[in-house]
Amino acid sequence: METLYQYAWLIPVLPLAGAMIIGLGLISYNQSVNRLRTASSVLIVSLIGTAMVLSFGLLWSQVQGHAPYVQSFDWAAAGDFHLRMGFVIDHLTALMLVIVTSVAFLVMIYTDGYMAHDPGYVRFYAYLSLFSSSMLGLVISPNLVQVYIFWELVGMCSYLLIGFWYDRKAAADACQKAFVTNRVGDFGLLLGILALYWATGSFEFDVIGDRLQDLVQSGALSGGMAALFAILVFLGPVAKSAQFPLHVWLPDAMEGPTPISALIHAATMVAAGVFLIARMFPVFEGIPVAMDVIAWTGGVTAFLGASIAITQNDIKKGLAYSTMSQLGYMVMAMGVGAYTAGLFHLMTHAFFKAMLFLGSGSVIHGMEAVVGHDPVLAQDMRLMGGLRKYMPITAITFLIGTLAICGIPPFAGFWSKDEILGQTFNANPALWLVGWLTAGITAFYMFRMYFSTFEGSFRGNDSAIKQQLKIEQLQRMGLAFGPGAMNPKELTAEFPTSDAPDNSPDAHDSHHSSTPHESPLAMWLPLVILAIPSMLVGLIGTPFANYFEAFIHAPGKVMETAAEFEWSEFLIMGGSSVGIALIGITLATLMYRTQKIDPGAIADKIQPLYQLSLNKWYIDDIYDAVFVKGSRRLARQVLEVDVRIVDGLVNLTGFVTLVTGEALKYLESGKVQFYALIVFGAVLGLVLVSGIT
Amino acid sequence: MNTADFPWLTTIILFPIVASFFIPLVPDKEGKGRPIRWYALVIGLINFSLTVYAFYSNYDISSPDLQLVESYSWVSSLDLRWSVGADGLSMPLILLTSFITTLAILASWPVTLKPRLFFFLLLVMYGGQIAVFAVQDMLLFFLVWELELLPVYLLLSIWGGKKRLYAATKFILYTAGGSLFILVAALAMAFYGDTTTFDMRSLMEKDFPLNFQLLAYAGFLIAYAVKLPIFPLHTWLPDAHGEATAPVHMLLAGILLKMGGYALIRMNVEMLPDAHVRFAPILLILGVVNIIYAALTSFAQRNLKRKIAYSSISHMGFVLIGIASFTDLGMSGAVLQMVSHGLIGASLFFLVGATYDRTHTLILDEMGGVGKKMPRIFAMFTACSLASLALPGMSGFVAELMIFVGFATSDAYDLTFKVIIVVLAAIGVILTPIYLLSMLREIFYGPENKALVEHEVLVDAEPREVFIIASLLVPIIGIGFYPKLLTQVYDAKTEEITARLRTAYFMAVEKRNPALADIQPFQAPALQDTAS
Repeated sequence: METLYQYAWLIPVLPLAGAMIIGLGLISYNQSVNRLRTASSVLIVSLIGTAMVLSFGLLWSQVQGHAPYVQSFDWAAAGDFHLRMGFVIDHLTALMLVIVTSVAFLVMIYTDGYMAHDPGYVRFYAYLSLFSSSMLGLVISPNLVQVYIFWELVGMCSYLLIGFWYDRKAAADACQKAFVTNRVGDFGLLLGILALYWATGSFEFDVIGDRLQDLVQSGALSGGMAALFAILVFLGPVAKSAQFPLHVWLPDAMEGPTPISALIHAATMVAAGVFLIARMFPVFEGIPVAMDVIAWTGGVTAFLGASIAITQNDIKKGLAYSTMSQLGYMVMAMGVGAYTAGLFHLMTHAFFKAMLFLGSGSVIHGMEAVVGHDPVLAQDMRLMGGLRKYMPITAITFLIGTLAICGIPPFAGFWSKDEILGQTFNANPALWLVGWLTAGITAFYMFRMYFSTFEGSFRGNDSAIKQQLKIEQLQRMGLAFGPGAMNPKELTAEFPTSDAPDNSPDAHDSHHSSTPHESPLAMWLPLVILAIPSMLVGLIGTPFANYFEAFIHAPGKVMETAAEFEWSEFLIMGGSSVGIALIGITLATLMYRTQKIDPGAIADKIQPLYQLSLNKWYIDDIYDAVFVKGSRRLARQVLEVDVRIVDGLVNLTGFVTLVTGEALKYLESGKVQFYALIVFGAVLGLVLVSGIT
Repeated sequence: MNTADFPWLTTIILFPIVASFFIPLVPDKEGKGRPIRWYALVIGLINFSLTVYAFYSNYDISSPDLQLVESYSWVSSLDLRWSVGADGLSMPLILLTSFITTLAILASWPVTLKPRLFFFLLLVMYGGQIAVFAVQDMLLFFLVWELELLPVYLLLSIWGGKKRLYAATKFILYTAGGSLFILVAALAMAFYGDTTTFDMRSLMEKDFPLNFQLLAYAGFLIAYAVKLPIFPLHTWLPDAHGEATAPVHMLLAGILLKMGGYALIRMNVEMLPDAHVRFAPILLILGVVNIIYAALTSFAQRNLKRKIAYSSISHMGFVLIGIASFTDLGMSGAVLQMVSHGLIGASLFFLVGATYDRTHTLILDEMGGVGKKMPRIFAMFTACSLASLALPGMSGFVAELMIFVGFATSDAYDLTFKVIIVVLAAIGVILTPIYLLSMLREIFYGPENKALVEHEVLVDAEPREVFIIASLLVPIIGIGFYPKLLTQVYDAKTEEITARLRTAYFMAVEKRNPALADIQPFQAPALQDTAS
């Protein structure tokens, strides 16, 4: 076993090596490497597969009770300062390694089908591998600085992958938005790390926690300062895990190819924020103010995400807001001290949400055969419907995922969400209410999504809807182009391919099919495999036999072995959350399955609320007006000042000096460069003269 | 042969200069400059090998002392000596100079206008630049400092863009105006006291009174603020950089800016530590202004070269913060930031040049969507921009992290001041990706710009260009992965400098009395009680 631990560093290094080999190949021999599609993907997939086997080995060994293993080396040093890097393998790391490698492995297999016709197939694998490597590096980090390093690296991979189709304007904007929003969070994280190091002299998680406690208790550091430091660190997870108010990047990030939406923006990277809170738990738990901030941020995000997801028509955007909402649950769990429950939900969510996203990718893949490679058409649920007939495997797995996220027992989501809600109720009934309501909304919007996608009749050939969607898109672009370009017809003439270059007339001709088809084996196999944990993984964390808690619990906490299990409490809590989920499902059925209630009529009645949800609470618009436009204006003004005032003043000062001096005549004759020569000559002359005498 | 006694530094300085005088003899039958550029490249490679060999075989990285010392009497009546040497401060920069200049020669392949003169000037600069970092005599320093201006002036004014004469004139006026202050301060220091000496070592040991130090410090600061550059003396830089050709650009950004930082540490910090204690808060404020002000101007700039030029100014702000931190870590970070920016700045400017060669425009609004036609340039540009925005795994991140941690743990400032500076500097961390990623987006992303694609032939990078960027990325990533690779070269020296500074600082704190209170910006160390 010991050997396994010594070679644990291979887990992030293997995918890195793969990414570097392919990356260098692409730079040096672009065309030949691009032709080696199978070889490249097999290499990358087998490397991550090896990492997965190693991870399972480590998890097994940790379950057997192996002690945590730490290894580090001196990375940077100056004076007495030493910064060490390395890796730690403990229960949390082992669990995260397994989650990341297994989801990554399945997503990479899926990619082979999804990206089969993309010219960037090999490049995509290189990026995926690079991302896996960074993410694995993040979870094995033994200290805050290393976390920060990989934190930024996963952000970079996310940037590259969101902007993968770089000729789409929307993707170009989205990737920059994601990176910059995350940098705002990292700004807080960096300041937090600096402040904690200043206060405690350490980057190690538990050392910081202990010393901070001592400092606060001895009065050397005020409680307010400690809370401020903790909240600064928390800003990092706020951005990375798409928590309000820095959540705006995640829905836009759906411009990236669907496999990465599943891997990065649902299962792994966005969960890194929750992971960091778990790692920093020794620090946070001693600071009640920080815990409250975390809990409420999570609660608000959960509700906000769900409330927006209700009205989304883009299947991926809907799932993105759902992810944001579920991440809110995890963060809320951390905030109320439900460490185990939060991580349990992280795990179950990773599996079922990855499956849901891959399922949506499968749907999009099928839709593209009918409507063409245009995200505006292929991803809109108004054009779908009745897909269960054509894509049975996708439909069944999607239904399993939907049931899991709604919290219907015995699917995975029930156990984890119920545990979060139960513990939240004990800590803060108001927050529980928020979480409970959100559970109902979740059930509603997920079944709305399921019904409009897979049930009813297929609407993909309805040209009236297509026309309407195109006009809506042009109107959105029209807004972006300013009031001068509001006529959609004009825009069609001017920008016929602006947002979807593949959507040229020729591309249209190649889509003969009028019905969608089931996806290839490489795509449905991962769905089926992921369906198994989505159904069953919750059973390891049932309240009556919680093996998960025995394995993962807050550091320093001794397990309350006889956490006496009360059936009555379980039934009340579980019953209430299942109850509200059933209400949500019933509503969705009435509105979108049997069409007993007309959703349009309700939307008309509560127009302001509907618009609020549809426009994402106007948060993006506010940010755009205040921060984006504001910073542009400020920058332009500073540049004006620089060019007109600073430059002018300095030139004037210099000029006045020159005018008063001898150099004026050189200026007038236009040969100012002689000025420099004169100075140089004078000194040289001085040297020579004194040399002779 | 005993290689230890060989005059390595003199050879490295004089070899390219002497070799440059043979350029007129190089046969060039086609008149296209092919043999000339090969000649220059071979000279550059030989000199680079010599530098690396001298470093490898005769330089002891564990010692903070001056090594590879040579001293020959030149003008005895003035006690002017040709004295050169290298310590932890010079050595990384000499290696950097040798490396970047050789790559710049390779980057000059497309130069067809007056190739003889161009490569002659490049080789002269090669020696001149190394001399700036190696000489140990103040008067000599002034001479080589001025000497290196003339090739730059000519390179700018003959091979530059449309406004090249204006830019070149502005460059030389600013720098030469600044260097007058060096001359005055250096002469004053040399003649102060009983002995007259220009030797930097001896000057370090001279005991100048505080007021004298403050004046000399201010003089040097003006000169080096032009070079580094520091707000508000930076406005020559966007003009000069906006007009220069790619190889000159690489030298300007990669090496010339570093002269300012080097001289600031060498003279202001090492020779005038008492004044540095007083001036340090001003440096911090200037550093923060540099970071934020230049990042904002860069964001608003629509001209690609000027955008990157402003980004250089922004990055140099971190050097100032590191120098003023009074910690080992901060000082080490400042040197690292200089080397790191030398590599990253050179690579970015080279890529801007390569892009310009294809698009023939520098205005961002006239570009767009060229990523499809030039995927390699796109990939390299992305990598270098990410390096510039301090992505971990690249050298810029390590340097900024060291400066941040160094300054945050500094015991020389009171808490409020420190918090303000750190927070403002960290805002730069948000601003940098905004302007760099916007730039990438506007050049490469989105649908192709029809007007551009139809009128220009957009070919992807050739192997020579890939090689240059790869050569630059190897050390950038190497240092990013394992910073000790570079920091151990100069650690001994920066620790010595910091120790000296801290002595000066604590003496100043002790001597503090009510009369000095208004010019004494420090309060008692705030860290001591909490760091235990």
